[in-house]
Amino acid sequence: MDNLKPFLTQVLAGVASQYADIRVEESDETDIVYRGQELDQVERSFERGGCIRVFHQGNWGTASFNQVDEKLEGLARDVASAVEAMPAKPETLGSLPALTDSVTIPEADDPRKVPLEDKHALIKHYNDILLKTPGVTTTMSAYEDKFRRSSFLSSEGRFITQDSVYTGFVCRAVARDGTNVQDYHDTFGKTAGFSSLLNREVMVERIAKVALDLLKAEPVTAGRYDVIIDQELAGVFAHEAFGHLSEADFLAANERLRELMKVGNKYGVDELSIVDDGTMPGERGSFRYDDEGSAAERTELIKEGRIAGHLHDRQSAQRMSERPTGNARAVSYRFAPIVRMRNTFIEPRGYNIEDMLDSVENGLYVCGSRGGMTELESFTFSSQYARLIEHGRQTKLMRDVILSGNVFETLKNIKMIGDDLVMFGGLGGCGKNGQAPLPVGLGAPHLLIRNVVIGGK
Amino acid sequence: MEEQILELAEARGAKAEVYSSDENRLTVEFRANEFHSQESRLARGYGLRVVKNGRVGFSSTSDPDKVGELVQAAVDTSEFGKRCGFEFPGPASSLPAVKTFDNRVIMLPAIKMIEWARELVDAVRARVPAIKVDVSLTRRYGERAIVNSAGLRRRFSRATLELSATGLLVSDGLVWMSEYENLSAGGPPSIGLLADRIEQKAVLARTRARLATGTYPVVFMPTAVPDLLYPLVTGVNGKQLEKGASPLIGKVGEKLLDEKIVLADNALRDFGIASAPSDGEGVPRRRNVLFDRGVFTGFLFDLATAAACGARTTGSAARDYSSPPRPGMSNLELAPGDARLEDVLTGIKQGLLVHDCIGGGQSNVLAGDVAVNVSSGFHVGNGKLTGRVKDTMIAGNVYKMLANVAAVGDVVRDLGRFHVPFLMFECLKVATRE
Repeated sequence: MDNLKPFLTQVLAGVASQYADIRVEESDETDIVYRGQELDQVERSFERGGCIRVFHQGNWGTASFNQVDEKLEGLARDVASAVEAMPAKPETLGSLPALTDSVTIPEADDPRKVPLEDKHALIKHYNDILLKTPGVTTTMSAYEDKFRRSSFLSSEGRFITQDSVYTGFVCRAVARDGTNVQDYHDTFGKTAGFSSLLNREVMVERIAKVALDLLKAEPVTAGRYDVIIDQELAGVFAHEAFGHLSEADFLAANERLRELMKVGNKYGVDELSIVDDGTMPGERGSFRYDDEGSAAERTELIKEGRIAGHLHDRQSAQRMSERPTGNARAVSYRFAPIVRMRNTFIEPRGYNIEDMLDSVENGLYVCGSRGGMTELESFTFSSQYARLIEHGRQTKLMRDVILSGNVFETLKNIKMIGDDLVMFGGLGGCGKNGQAPLPVGLGAPHLLIRNVVIGGK
Repeated sequence: MEEQILELAEARGAKAEVYSSDENRLTVEFRANEFHSQESRLARGYGLRVVKNGRVGFSSTSDPDKVGELVQAAVDTSEFGKRCGFEFPGPASSLPAVKTFDNRVIMLPAIKMIEWARELVDAVRARVPAIKVDVSLTRRYGERAIVNSAGLRRRFSRATLELSATGLLVSDGLVWMSEYENLSAGGPPSIGLLADRIEQKAVLARTRARLATGTYPVVFMPTAVPDLLYPLVTGVNGKQLEKGASPLIGKVGEKLLDEKIVLADNALRDFGIASAPSDGEGVPRRRNVLFDRGVFTGFLFDLATAAACGARTTGSAARDYSSPPRPGMSNLELAPGDARLEDVLTGIKQGLLVHDCIGGGQSNVLAGDVAVNVSSGFHVGNGKLTGRVKDTMIAGNVYKMLANVAAVGDVVRDLGRFHVPFLMFECLKVATRE
């Protein structure tokens, strides 16, 4: 699939609608999964397909396909005539200038060049570290890599070919003591080559250790606590509780939220800034162009405690009279892009973790994430574990610690922002409207939040 | 193409199975009362499973130009693959009869789907003027083929058509009202009935009812029953038996649930969303009873898990082209009982009726734990529905809940892959903010 421009131009030639684009993708993916001692899965898949979109007078038509041949001209015309037959709405997409660009990856990062036996040996090695830890009863260790090449052409004359690479692994250890069963997992993954996964033994050893420690942890007592949350959980909060509310396609459908998310509204201390950035080298949610050909950028969502911006695709930007931010992403060629996050994080400030501990008389230091759910501005997150803080010192290990609350109240209760930003990627990703898992990055420094509702069992 | 891939794999000294699917999907969508989009999806791909030197390998592609790479990758992965304990099945004498498509569905033009969606939006708005309605209609028409080295050659087609609608009202917070209809048998949608159901919920939602935290009789309407069945579906999966993880291990033949519970996995239901004459490995499908009057009757298997567990396949291999087969559910049927909803409600002094939940699947599903937020539910006071409840959570263990069912409804609702009546429980823990 070298230069597809002449072919793609031909496909769109018969479409006279206001706007059209076509995206063709090829990908090559390897998956290896161990469960306990047994290799459960080893698979490779080669995908090729694409998606045509047509916009006319406020209406969208899309078609995805696997067969990349001259029949696509007819498909494009069919989509266009269906859309043009719809009742017109007074809406446009704005315009972007013509452009030709090509994005490649360093050859050393191409996972297709790494032999399968090396990939297998690596994940087996990490899985063996877990298995040989006394007290660990079972494990799950998975390796995944993906090379993706996409070619995009719009009726405005934007032609972009873009290569991307994703590699990562996840390890989970289960420890058991009688009927007490505890598990812990961690994952690592970037837009980088196979070599980025090497030498992660310390991380894997820690997974086994935490699972064993959790056997001795006590369930937390429900109530209101002052909490310090670690970088991962704070990153999940930035993404899940706040980031999704910044997605403009969602705001467009909800008047009350649009009011709440108005630029200038103040929700936090002056030090609070939250950013969604697609340009961070190597991070899991990074790319040069989104799936409708807009350049990725750094978008400030909260600046100095005030709402500063929203995440857009071209249509939502036009609707809200803002600029497209390069957040139109599709999980694969089978889908049209929708507004999604990239790397979402809270900016670091001046406090270190010792300062924060000193200012908590009684509270919790809550770490890691086991997922959660949000409904508009309400959120519930499960952490992996926590430590009790007594008189500024970390004491007992606690488990089953669930945080819940209202995102806007919680933002106002962030009192100290740490100096130790860490970004997380890993396998898996974000889900929205049936498109999952989309690779995203998230992160934060440590945060001190007062008066958080903690639910226990 | 399947034959060509099979020959190439056999030439590499492997026994092989090729699964192909070719699907044409069309979705029309209305959002907030207006036409939003028409989306078509043409998806075709091939999955290749090989057995070489006693080990299993797998690869897949949607690119017909990559047949050589496909075969090479399957052989490569087999070097590390699992030991194979099964044989590919040969051609069976006959397949069960099941209707999997109606020509009216296949021939239905997009414009007609748009017209139906528009009619439903109009019908709902005529009843509830302030409402915003989303409607989507999705037609899938697909052909699947399986060939293998044991001489099996299978091919079948399936067409389904599904409608879902959600009404959104702003009334002391946001209120969603969802409806669904399986139209795969070829008839038009029941516009009046769907609109009436949304209207009933909308009228009730205008009144806010309060229920203090406590133990109450609870009716799970059919739309909420799948949340209670998911843990069972996971538990009966042969893969969980193989992994030693199912709580049902060693319990075949034991009475675990209430005798009113008869639960079956039935891929032979006419026009079912997951109906098929044979499974993802070409084995004839059948109706598998999972719980018979409360007694656990057995797990669901594909070839590999059956071999690992010393059992026989139940014809339950589920898959698409991009992944190897695994045991999975098809259409789940919970048999109706004899209870009428009016009679059950009349008997409740203070309780809850639940239409929809969110948050299922967040707890320890395998152990049977459920903890759900009631997203659409109504207070029952002295036999009458009095209004909508907010911030209400139900937590429990489905194995315990289903061991003591007070009543099973006399009407089964078709929810696509679930065919279920309502269930009533005498006392469940309900947590609210009141």
